[in-house]
Amino acid sequence: MSVRAVATVRWQRRSLALLLALVLLAPVCAWAATRVGYAEPMTNAAELAGVASEAAPTGHSLFSGYALPGLGTYAGTFGGALLGTGLTLVLALAIGRLLASGR
Amino acid sequence: MQLFAVVAASVFAAQLLNWPIPGGTSAHFVGGAFAAIVLGPHLGALAVALVVTVQALVFGDGGTLALGANVWNVAIVQAYVGYGAYTVVADRDERLAAVVGGWLGITAAAASAGLQLAVSPGFGGEFLAVVAVMTGGHFLLGIGEGVLTLLGIRLLDWTGIEADRLRLVGAHA
Repeated sequence: MSVRAVATVRWQRRSLALLLALVLLAPVCAWAATRVGYAEPMTNAAELAGVASEAAPTGHSLFSGYALPGLGTYAGTFGGALLGTGLTLVLALAIGRLLASGR
Repeated sequence: MQLFAVVAASVFAAQLLNWPIPGGTSAHFVGGAFAAIVLGPHLGALAVALVVTVQALVFGDGGTLALGANVWNVAIVQAYVGYGAYTVVADRDERLAAVVGGWLGITAAAASAGLQLAVSPGFGGEFLAVVAVMTGGHFLLGIGEGVLTLLGIRLLDWTGIEADRLRLVGAHA
């Protein structure tokens, strides 16, 4: 089952268009974050509680911050949003297919 | 199957829209109640669990050690509480029910996360303060989650999904 196979009827085509619209908005949020001095809320809470120094990374990702590396902030964010949304769509299709076959 | 995939992907994409709030924090749609209302609570919880798993394992967001807590708060608590609130109100007004479901779902999820934070050693001695801040803040912000839950359902209706949704519900019956 491919993503193309989803877009076989009108509601599916419209849904994919809405998903693309959401992905296109991701760089807008990245831009807005730069305007307000954004930091992760949990980081803010940890700093307020005085426990930020106890934080320890539990994993690393090439795509931290939901951005593809090497593309700059906005193109990278768009790419990361596209990758994540597409990956979720494909994985959910696979899970849905498994569930449907077991029913 | 396609509806499950579209809902999961839309929750992922919507959670990316992290609207910064002046002062340095942010708010975003979470979507547990939305997924549960559209798919039913079990499939809705599964869809959101997939989203937070992709976020943790692919994007390093949330952390792998916190994945279980995130799944519990967002996929289980928010989805089931949101769906329960929705079903209580839906007979009277389905649109209001979607707003209430989204609102109470996120508030319950925040209360759950607040409890987890409050019992962690780093926040020792601040139990009531942490729970109150998390729950109270999301009780207010949750109105936005409720409105966006309704908006999401209306957008899905706009796509012409209703026929497929009815078919899915019929298959479960």
